[in-house]
Amino acid sequence: MVTNRINHKWGMVVDLDRCTGCQACVVACQAENNLPINTKEYFQQRRAYEWIRIERYWEGEFPNVKARFIPIMCQHCENAPCEPVCPVYATYHNDEGMNVQVYNRCVGTRYCANNCPYQVRFFNWWEPQWPERLRNQLNPDVTVRSRGIMERCSFCVQRIRRGEITVERRGVEPLTGQRIPPGPASPTQGRYLNHQRMKDGNFLPACAQACPTNALMFGEQKDPTGPVYQYFERANEQYDRVHHRDYFDESQTRVYRLLEEMGTKPNVIYLKKVDQYPISGGEAH
Amino acid sequence: MKLTRRHFLAWAGLGALGAVACEGFGIREGELDIQSPLNLPEDLVRGKDNWYATLCRTGPSCDGILVRVMEGRAKKIQGNPLYPTNQGKSHARTEAGVQALYHPDRIPGPMKRGGIRGSVRFDPIAWEPEAMNTLVRQLNDRGSRAVLITKPNRGHLGLLTSRFADAVGAEHLNYEPVDNNVYRRAVKDVFQQDVLPDFDLDHANIILSFGADFLSTWISPTRWNRGYGEFRQGEGRDHRGTLYHVDSRFSMTAANADKWIPISPGWEGHLAMSIAQVIVAEGLQSPTADVDGMLGGGRAMLDRFRPEDVAARAGITSEIVGADPAEFIRALARKFATEGPSIAIAGGSAGAQSNGLFNVEAAMVLNWLVNNVGSTGGVTLNPLGPWGGVPSTAQSASLEDFERLAEQIRTGETRMLLLHNVDPVYGLPGSLKLRDAIVSAQDLFIVSFSPFIDDTTALADLLLPDRVYLEDWGDDIPDPGPGYQVAGFQQPVVNPLWDLDPRSFPDVLLAAADGMEVDRVETGAGGLPWRSYQAMLRESSDELFALNRGSIEAATAAEFWNSLLGRGGWWDENTGGPGGINPPRGILRDILDRASEPTFAGFDGGSTLFLVPFSHNTLQDGDNAHLPWLQATPDPVTSVTWQTWVELNDTTAERYGIREGDVVRIDSSQGSIRAIAYPNPATPPGIVSVPFGGGRRHGSAWATDRPATESSNVAEILEPTRVAGPETLAWAGTKVTITRTDDSVNLSKLEGNARAVEVGLSAAEEIIKTVAPGVK
Repeated sequence: MVTNRINHKWGMVVDLDRCTGCQACVVACQAENNLPINTKEYFQQRRAYEWIRIERYWEGEFPNVKARFIPIMCQHCENAPCEPVCPVYATYHNDEGMNVQVYNRCVGTRYCANNCPYQVRFFNWWEPQWPERLRNQLNPDVTVRSRGIMERCSFCVQRIRRGEITVERRGVEPLTGQRIPPGPASPTQGRYLNHQRMKDGNFLPACAQACPTNALMFGEQKDPTGPVYQYFERANEQYDRVHHRDYFDESQTRVYRLLEEMGTKPNVIYLKKVDQYPISGGEAH
Repeated sequence: MKLTRRHFLAWAGLGALGAVACEGFGIREGELDIQSPLNLPEDLVRGKDNWYATLCRTGPSCDGILVRVMEGRAKKIQGNPLYPTNQGKSHARTEAGVQALYHPDRIPGPMKRGGIRGSVRFDPIAWEPEAMNTLVRQLNDRGSRAVLITKPNRGHLGLLTSRFADAVGAEHLNYEPVDNNVYRRAVKDVFQQDVLPDFDLDHANIILSFGADFLSTWISPTRWNRGYGEFRQGEGRDHRGTLYHVDSRFSMTAANADKWIPISPGWEGHLAMSIAQVIVAEGLQSPTADVDGMLGGGRAMLDRFRPEDVAARAGITSEIVGADPAEFIRALARKFATEGPSIAIAGGSAGAQSNGLFNVEAAMVLNWLVNNVGSTGGVTLNPLGPWGGVPSTAQSASLEDFERLAEQIRTGETRMLLLHNVDPVYGLPGSLKLRDAIVSAQDLFIVSFSPFIDDTTALADLLLPDRVYLEDWGDDIPDPGPGYQVAGFQQPVVNPLWDLDPRSFPDVLLAAADGMEVDRVETGAGGLPWRSYQAMLRESSDELFALNRGSIEAATAAEFWNSLLGRGGWWDENTGGPGGINPPRGILRDILDRASEPTFAGFDGGSTLFLVPFSHNTLQDGDNAHLPWLQATPDPVTSVTWQTWVELNDTTAERYGIREGDVVRIDSSQGSIRAIAYPNPATPPGIVSVPFGGGRRHGSAWATDRPATESSNVAEILEPTRVAGPETLAWAGTKVTITRTDDSVNLSKLEGNARAVEVGLSAAEEIIKTVAPGVK
């Protein structure tokens, strides 16, 4: 037996009605994950690295015009189109529902990026460079990716691992630093990385931690006390009903998955924007 | 050795036995974990991290933060969950503090000017004795004719700097390019408060905001973003709140509003008074609102603001509101008055007009009509800070003050400038010609305490680099606070790197006072009795300890100090803002007396457009221009990075033959800049908008390496129009003409980098789905 790892199933919920497009998540991700500095030229060449990005869509024309924001990151699909096309198994699905990239296996074919409908995989066209002094900021928990390989949102797996090691293996309460007392059933009972401990120990993904409106919620899909449980329950029920051709009125739910019709079954769920004054006949672009 | 069948079986048996034995002996779990090829490299998380609580200084508000430090290096900044204002949340600007800390262009140590002024040639010198001696000598010679310019600092830094200025006989001016003086004055007039109020967005049903981009850059955006999230989908709410935003620009707040009301610049006050007229005429005000007392006369005074008379003049048409404009205003007023709790917020561009004070006060007084002051979902008044005599608030000097300063430099009356983290040469309107005044001054000595070269520091004679905030002590009294007393504390989370030799600005001031042999105890209002800035803060901690109340329970003052630093501050939820505050008698009449139409100096005529500049979401007013993450963060509305753009409507662009990426010349009577066109469907046709924050001439390459066609400073062309009353800059009161140039550049923007809709997979409606209100 290699580990006593508790079998988690992580997921993220993005509430579009809370999101203001403020970009806090974008910078938090850059800071946490050692992303190269996006220069002017990177944007001009349409090769900017943003593991999470805020897309903005216009709807209508002045004066009946709206801008809508949506954060898009790797959707960690259950049926991930990027995975089967990798010739070297650099991208695979782990036992926690996450899509994972093994950097030192990647040979840079870019098949995965080609196959990803969400455009969330980024190829390192250049060797990442920072001025010497700025390298002091780099996160030692995250590999700096070299030129020629692919990268993408990892759900900040390094933070989750730190949480698992702290709480579930070492049995330490993150806020107080005290030992979690052994439960009656086993010494490890009670050592569960629940949502409160994720928050207390700064183990949430950097984007969710930063999001000032709480539009990004992250947690264990199976934990009824967590913030995402109810939405995944509903999303899975909706998925089952659609696939069993049950009647399902989509206008009566806020829960949806991005490009759901492609069957990728993401582990990221979106909650629809509430539109009090819809633009009649407006076309989004 | 020959491998026989017998040997093979023996070894296999021993191996199996060994495996069983090892399992029984209990190999440490961690060793196997580390070496497992099944785990990712990211599993190999090792190293001890520490999280220190301190304060953020990269935004308009001073949020509480936690900094992750590993092996003496700051790695990551996050919101401090304990801190009462931002409650663990952060803004895009917050994270970039580590880039300021490890910035390659920090001034390494003290330097003196090595060429002619403006040559940006500096020679290194030592702190002792040369740098300090020079400072002391110059202060002795010129102190009584010196001007100390700092940011509007609250807390003990504010106290120390003003005491120092008093001690040496210098004038002290607070400076920020986009100030909130108009809003502060309105708060004083309408609520009789010196400190700013908070807004309980969490529990509001209706928010009616006028010009204040409170979700992006206005005053306390992190706190109000958090409140906005709850306003929309907070747990326990029975229905979602509705945001109406009145603004002549399509800002980030406008983009998030349920209904954006694009109004002609400077007419916000008229609309607000029209709403007041409807509320009063229909008797919809709160039963406890003393309208007659507020009016101090007949209600007919409001009749000149009937919706029919205001709508057309304010540019509110049936196309904009989708109904008869007067009826729309009436419906809005009814909703505001009857479907509360409601909040009216005003500031930003609404206050940056010649009639800005009227605009902001007219809007803020609506809060009294629904009597939401001090109630759930309304305006929360704040108490003063916990220390007597320590400033809980700070206000910028007026444009009038800086016009006078420029003149004094020209005439030689001002002979010394002391600058701390301010860049007035860059931020003040070009019409003041401050740079020219400084360069041509015959006998002026400039000391800059900035850790970075900027446009003003480039002209200095002596550079005495300050520590950046992650290396230094500090404190803050949030303004606005959360409705109770808060004192935030900042501590050094790391030491400066070995090749840097900055010194804390307040400590340099104290050392200079010693060098000048100032009697630190007796001079000025209370003097400068502190041994060091840290000692000053430690004393302030002891004072809090002596209060024997609030968030920290400790047996000794030392224990209290440790706990204070561990939590990032002290607060007392049992305190509150002043109670029993009523609207000043005759406040509505005073506001009505102040009512006026906006005036625009400079260009006029059919071909002119209103210029509505705005604070950049991450660069703010240029303060953060040296930080690469913040340059590379897409603007929320346009998604542009690194460059200075001009927003204009698609139809306006078509009229001028302008396409995206074309370089546009923007002329006012004060000068001309260039910016890259970003035509879009949301900018009102008569408006062009340009962000502050571009066009720095000196300093880090990240702030300066673009040509004038790609990065320009909109402050250079602003008319020096003042807001009547506070006499501050009316930065949205300029009219311009635009001309397409022959240049065109590739716009550096996120838009188009990757969009599923663009690769033909799906329509935009399928990406961002919407539902009607009420659906969960």
